[in-house]
Amino acid sequence: MRTTHVGSYPKIPDLPAPGRWRTAAEKLQRGEITREQFRQVEDEVTLEAIADQVEAGLDLITDGQIRWEDPQTYFARRLSGFTIDGLQRWFDTNVYYRQPVAEGPVSWREPITVEDYRFARRHSPRPVKPVVTGPYTLSRLSQNRHYARFADFVLAVARALNQELRALDAESPPAVQLDEPAILHYKDDLPLFREAMAAVLEGVRSPVALYTYFGDARGLLGALVELPVQAVGLDFVAGPRNWEVLEAEGFPPDRRLGFGVLDARNTRLETVEEVLRALDRVSRFVSLDRVDLGPTAGLEFLPRRAAKAKLVRLSEVKRAAVEVTR
Amino acid sequence: MSDLPLFPTTTVGSFPKPPYLLEARRKRLRGQIEPEELRRLEEQATREWIQRQEELGLDVFVDGEMYRGDMVAYFADEMDGFAIAGLVRSYGNRYYPKPVVTGPVGRKRPITVEWFRFAQSLTGKPVKGMLTGPYTIAEWSFNEYYPTRRELVLELARAIHEEAVDLERAGARFIQIDEPAIHTRPDEDFELAREAMEVVTDGLSAYTITHVCYGDVPRIYPRMLDLPVRQIDLALKNEDFALLEVFRRHRFTKDIGLGVIDAHSHRVETVEEVLDGIRRSLEVFEPRQVYVSPDCGLKTRTIDEAVGKLASMVEGARRAREELRSVV
Repeated sequence: MRTTHVGSYPKIPDLPAPGRWRTAAEKLQRGEITREQFRQVEDEVTLEAIADQVEAGLDLITDGQIRWEDPQTYFARRLSGFTIDGLQRWFDTNVYYRQPVAEGPVSWREPITVEDYRFARRHSPRPVKPVVTGPYTLSRLSQNRHYARFADFVLAVARALNQELRALDAESPPAVQLDEPAILHYKDDLPLFREAMAAVLEGVRSPVALYTYFGDARGLLGALVELPVQAVGLDFVAGPRNWEVLEAEGFPPDRRLGFGVLDARNTRLETVEEVLRALDRVSRFVSLDRVDLGPTAGLEFLPRRAAKAKLVRLSEVKRAAVEVTR
Repeated sequence: MSDLPLFPTTTVGSFPKPPYLLEARRKRLRGQIEPEELRRLEEQATREWIQRQEELGLDVFVDGEMYRGDMVAYFADEMDGFAIAGLVRSYGNRYYPKPVVTGPVGRKRPITVEWFRFAQSLTGKPVKGMLTGPYTIAEWSFNEYYPTRRELVLELARAIHEEAVDLERAGARFIQIDEPAIHTRPDEDFELAREAMEVVTDGLSAYTITHVCYGDVPRIYPRMLDLPVRQIDLALKNEDFALLEVFRRHRFTKDIGLGVIDAHSHRVETVEEVLDGIRRSLEVFEPRQVYVSPDCGLKTRTIDEAVGKLASMVEGARRAREELRSVV
């Protein structure tokens, strides 16, 4: 079993410690500091996010997505063809994103995540996995004013992000996480989703972990595990039906399961016993050496202290699980 | 309400805090001033806003919420069962304090009644009692205690109902229950939010209002007309009255709080713009259904912007009234 983070980390510490990132963001808006000075603060906060994950003892970490304003604009701003519009609710959370609008042909211009990945890897004693928002989710949460059909839009975004994944290939990351929560809410789009996955994964050599969250993969899982990916991530808190899905659709022995059981959206800390029971239950479908134990989603929904506690709990569970099996 | 003019003018609840109060709130957090000193300044700022509302000629007043920070944390702080967890980001560099439900929730004592009494004692105009709705309090808190969201929402609804009853007893003729989170899970939870509103407004004789903003209003329309309140207050201006199309397809059967002023832009709308908004809305609503208000609370504006916007709004409503009279 591996413990892994699955995305974002709170950018500011709990009160009364000063929220350096927040202060810097305000100063940047008012033109009181330069973009380079802001980048410096982002670097420092990224190091904090890495340190917290390493201290917690995780096997596989992320850079905490400190530089992401949200999972849509982080990519859309750096691709050609998008403008950025007003605020929209991000799924059923109280987090908002600025909505990208495709005004012209979408294409890849330059690496988006590569510099950030290099920075994190250089400063982390543990393996780091870059995260990329998947083409279906990025398109679904955007407006399309350019393409005649939604499918054309999705496939164009998939081809653009394919170049991003290939750019990451050159860095030989241990895994790349591709986030596709939106497909859980539009299951009828599975055929289009398959096409988009084929396009985005074409020729990609890095192991890809396809993550879903905020729902269950009923009717989808069988198709997801057939994709050329190393792992499929499922959220067992917002999608408790995923248990039935495992039962009904099974899980192949040649895929890893991203096992999201620590609720990324509630401060309540799961007990070690509770998670061990869930591991025991999941081991009926997937052997534990193929389980990537993690939170259900990125942890920026929580104040930092609560986020850190979730990460520490992952390691405690792993230690306890090893003792149990000994 | 019989003593109000056609197109009564009102606001959604919060006004900007004057700089001296912002400074005092910061000092209070650092323990540099006593609570009594902060209270004195909150009262002073409330008096100023009542005075401004008189000068502007609004019809239904609010106390301006000089003593509130976040609309959810304020109630959580005053109730049993909550702890303050910390700051959580909502977008950009906007953070809000997200409370944690750690035990059974309920009122310790009346929460807003004393401020209502104070504000009402300063004016002959009706002052609205202002409450945050149970669904929104639950949705914008972490729940570590209740096994289901439903139990938490309904328990909060009982507490907010008690508060509404106390406001009514204290003389509130208007009670507004804000539910900006009501469309977070439009399919799964709307019925729960409706049921909770039923608990809150049960047996009240005051004129009840709910304010809903942003998010996907069309997704909960026309179901939203089942909310047991007299008026639904909505943001129309910030999407250039696009919602009117939705109401054209299915008649709006309650009074409408017509948001004609964008609460989140610095630009002060012109009288013409307000008048135009009211005119357009009359293609869909009967004149007596319409209350005129901004899209949302004005606390993020400067005092000058807020006053400028409200002056245009009041004058726009007056001209709309005149136009209608000359037609009749």
